[in-house]
Amino acid sequence: MNSVVIAGYVRSPFQPARRGELVRTRPDDLAALVVRALVERTGVPPADIEDLILGCAFPEGEQGINIGRIVSILAELPLSVAGMTVNRFCGSSMQSVHIAAGAISMGAGDAFICAGVESMTRVPMGGFNPMPNPALYKKRPGVYMDMGITAENVAKKYEISREQQEQFALRSQTRTREAISAGRLADEIVAIQTPSGAVTRDGCPRPDTTAEALAGLKPAFDVSGSVTAGTSSPLTDGAAAVLVCSEQYADRNGLEKMARIRSFAVSGCEPEIMGIGPVQATRKALSRAGLSIDDIGVVELNEAFASQSLACIRELGLRDETINIDGGAIALGHPLGATGARITGKAAQLLKRENARYALATQCIGGGQGIATILERI
Amino acid sequence: MDQSAKPATAPDSPPALSRICVIGAGVMGSAIAAHIASAGVPVLLLDRPEGDDRSSLAKNAVARMLKTEPAPFMDPAAAKLIQPGNTEDDLGAIAGCDWIIEAIIERPDLKQALYRKLDTVRRPGTPVSSNTSTIPLAALTAGMPESFKRDFLITHFFNPPRYMRLLEIVGGPETDSAHIAKLTGFCDRVLGKTVVKAKDTPGFIANRIGTFWMLVAVRAAIENGLTVEQVDAVIGRPFGIPKTGVFGLIDLVGVDLMPHINASMKATLPPGDRYRAFADDIPLIGKMIETGHTGRKGKGGFYRLTRKDSEKIKESISLTTGEYAPSERFRLPSHIRHASDLMTAPDQHGIYARRVMGETLAYAASLVPEISDDITGVDKAMELGFNWKKGPFALIDEIGPARFAALLQAENIPVPPLVEKVGSGKFYEDRDNIRNAFSPDGTYKPVPRADGILLLEDIRRRGRPVLGDKSGALWDLGDGVACFEITTKMNTFDDGVLALLEKSVSHVKENFKALVLYSDADNFSAGANIGLALFAANMAAWEEIRKLTAKGQTVLKALKYAPFPVVAAPAGLALGGGCEFMLHADAIQAHAELYAGLVECGVGLIPGWGGCGEMLLRLRADPRTPHGPIPATREVFEMIATARVSKSAAEARRMHLLRKDDGITMNRDRVLADAKARALSMAEGYVAPEQPEFRVAGESGRTAFTMAVDGMARQGLVTSHDRTVSGELAIVLTGNGHDVTEIVTEQQMLDLEAASFMRLIRTTPTLDRIGHMLETGKPLRN
Repeated sequence: MNSVVIAGYVRSPFQPARRGELVRTRPDDLAALVVRALVERTGVPPADIEDLILGCAFPEGEQGINIGRIVSILAELPLSVAGMTVNRFCGSSMQSVHIAAGAISMGAGDAFICAGVESMTRVPMGGFNPMPNPALYKKRPGVYMDMGITAENVAKKYEISREQQEQFALRSQTRTREAISAGRLADEIVAIQTPSGAVTRDGCPRPDTTAEALAGLKPAFDVSGSVTAGTSSPLTDGAAAVLVCSEQYADRNGLEKMARIRSFAVSGCEPEIMGIGPVQATRKALSRAGLSIDDIGVVELNEAFASQSLACIRELGLRDETINIDGGAIALGHPLGATGARITGKAAQLLKRENARYALATQCIGGGQGIATILERI
Repeated sequence: MDQSAKPATAPDSPPALSRICVIGAGVMGSAIAAHIASAGVPVLLLDRPEGDDRSSLAKNAVARMLKTEPAPFMDPAAAKLIQPGNTEDDLGAIAGCDWIIEAIIERPDLKQALYRKLDTVRRPGTPVSSNTSTIPLAALTAGMPESFKRDFLITHFFNPPRYMRLLEIVGGPETDSAHIAKLTGFCDRVLGKTVVKAKDTPGFIANRIGTFWMLVAVRAAIENGLTVEQVDAVIGRPFGIPKTGVFGLIDLVGVDLMPHINASMKATLPPGDRYRAFADDIPLIGKMIETGHTGRKGKGGFYRLTRKDSEKIKESISLTTGEYAPSERFRLPSHIRHASDLMTAPDQHGIYARRVMGETLAYAASLVPEISDDITGVDKAMELGFNWKKGPFALIDEIGPARFAALLQAENIPVPPLVEKVGSGKFYEDRDNIRNAFSPDGTYKPVPRADGILLLEDIRRRGRPVLGDKSGALWDLGDGVACFEITTKMNTFDDGVLALLEKSVSHVKENFKALVLYSDADNFSAGANIGLALFAANMAAWEEIRKLTAKGQTVLKALKYAPFPVVAAPAGLALGGGCEFMLHADAIQAHAELYAGLVECGVGLIPGWGGCGEMLLRLRADPRTPHGPIPATREVFEMIATARVSKSAAEARRMHLLRKDDGITMNRDRVLADAKARALSMAEGYVAPEQPEFRVAGESGRTAFTMAVDGMARQGLVTSHDRTVSGELAIVLTGNGHDVTEIVTEQQMLDLEAASFMRLIRTTPTLDRIGHMLETGKPLRN
């Protein structure tokens, strides 16, 4: 099997949906700018790219019509470069990486752009026309359960208090604030031109938030619950992309090898506690890599909610100093389709920076799933 | 506000003003700017430079107004039409304005300094007006160049400018009459004001009489030993004065304003003016201001609200001790209903009423022609500036001028010459079916109506309706247009109204070209008479309720498919069945102050007269609605399930109650004329609409709505009966089991509405909601 590497990572600024600076930017345009920047920054010869695999959680409206192909053309890649759209909700663009890795392993291509996008402003979560199966809703309502309620369920089941969730949210905001002020996020961000000017910075973080402010928020999903807007990731507009290629190809073309993909996995779980999805997926991926959690020096755990993040940390026995070193989705935002590419790219970037051997990127997925990728420093 | 939201303009519409400057971003200036913006006209709002952002005063005023209730803007989007600035950096922009309104602090020296500054930048011939309420025009123009005097006038708006219909316009001897004509036309048609021409005298018309009235009422209350509750009951409903009465009104405008107005009046009124007899300082008011009891904006005024154990307690001040005690409910005896009942009552309330209203009405009568050339200007000013149902002269007519003169004599109040002159006659008389008013020269002259105004009261005066009974009437508006009017309490629907409407549709078909639905009452219609529905439900007369539901559907669809155009001309409330009535017209010409909505869920019901289908059609017809079975349905579902009511016609348009082509009229008195013009424009070649077909979201869609409501229930946002009611609404809107591939006819949609309506009205929580609404006027959250 061919060895597969991550050879580049960029993203757009993440901006709050409906009130941020990307509300008037179409998701296909946004993704195309990010893809174009990835190609330019990595120096990958465009004609070599086999496929553009684009993750998107609600691929309809401006995100429809196989947005993967649309973006490939908008980004002015050669027409020979194919394009597809992948939907595994929040795990969509991590799945793009997995698809590429699988193809490269069996010699079905050398270079892939694995990207993700979500404009949660322009295509609402749930889509424009949610049409749930009436019989299934009766039989198993959890399949369609509001993500916030699943976070409440996890908090209850794993006995995670509101205060613990708020401490975690504050940690996310603090890490993000520190990363931003130290300029550690600048390199990965691609400026996005909009009619009202260039957008260059993340818009979601609330660096001034306090424990008191968080404690004052009302429950967002359940009147008697513990999950608030402050302990949930915000609705976000954004795009991210990574370059995935065979190690030999990277060597041949002088591309920067950020990390090797060691293993990956997906796994299903109860939809009502979908936030726990990373646990099983991670265990599977670790086992496939022949590693234990103690081997992992960098963790990118998507912070869909503080409650599920804490439950996963506890269940997997993750060490605090390894987790989301530059902050996480509670502060940065979570554009559903784009997050997988962001945390995979970020894990690869951190592996080098932190001089660690192995990194884990993992996410929970609506409907009851988890996805995980293990990277290895080269 | 989009272009189509602009008021309808008749062919004789006034010259458009492309941009207006308002200087002074205080309460009045900023709210005037907001109202102009609501009318679709761009505004430059300036105040003095202050702080780092030198335009912060004006910017903050706009931001503050977006949070103010009642809202100064008819549509928050109108705020974008206001450009905030400051009087130094942005002065040059005034050259691009067609009218400059000054609304700064009431100091002649500062106003004149500003005028001099304006004179260096304004285009020559641009009118400049002051919104002063106390400073005479002569004082403002003294020493100013002749060219300025020609362009200067006073335009006095009332607070709050969006809601108060009165505008007093005052010109000086040098003022160019073209400015008066132009701004009168603009304020009337574009801003929707009733413009009353006042003379350059202290307080102009409304405040001259109104402040006198308040002063006399307070003084007499203290002297006669009445409580504030008694005063507000006496000087309230029987005289057609809002229930705030005198003390409630002073609390609203600010107790601290009284001495300011008093001082200004004393400084400017002629020596022998009757006002001076009452103008000495009132110690209680001084004490209240000292202790911060300046009214609603302060720690309370004559009334205040306190909290005890989270319960609100209303308290009133004692006019003798200045101490507060819980308010006592005071009711006049039931036989006291009209002004004349009180003015002749022998008890202390009669004595008080004679003293206060005798003085006030006599004062008003003594001021014509000093403050206004005619009595109609005075009456209009008090009706629209103080919300009196009848102005002073109409009130004297109600009492009887001769009897009024006798009452004055008995009270030792001088009888004004005008009252003596009218003798045993009346101030208003109908002659040749036209309303005439008594003039100071002793003759009767037709009550002036501005060009293009059509009032139902004038139509009524001309003769009998074409059809009519106690429920309503069908009037002939001329030119082949008929007008259907409801006359029940709050214009509610019952079987009588439906029967008359059905008859009217048949009659119009044979005899007219078009039909307008209109009422000059405060409200277009508050909906179906739910009191009757509750009565029938309590008797288990389900069949009667079913028949009424079916009848409403039949009649409203007959209206919709009639072979002539129907234009609804709603103003005020158009709720529930009243809203459905409006929705069945071919077009709507609404007054800008329209409070419309399908509010049935508030009483545990759903729209049963076709409202659900009509709203679905409106949403689907809007090209901005995303495609697919859900978006349009969701919008309708949310609007009806939350019983949302528009806070203006502009908002009603956003809610799709008004369509893109429907019109909005700013001036209440012009709604009927605009609606008639609209109806006539549609009459030639009119073809009734085709029956629509509905594509519904089916069971999957219903599941989506159920899921959304389940989520809201978890958030504590909906009650258990809300879930039942919204569940029925979802059944109707998603087609009750019809598949997405199937067509649902309009009749099927109506049947679904009726079935859900009948299921809901048979539930106890719905009947509890109706009962609670009838008792308290508020929805029950059960």
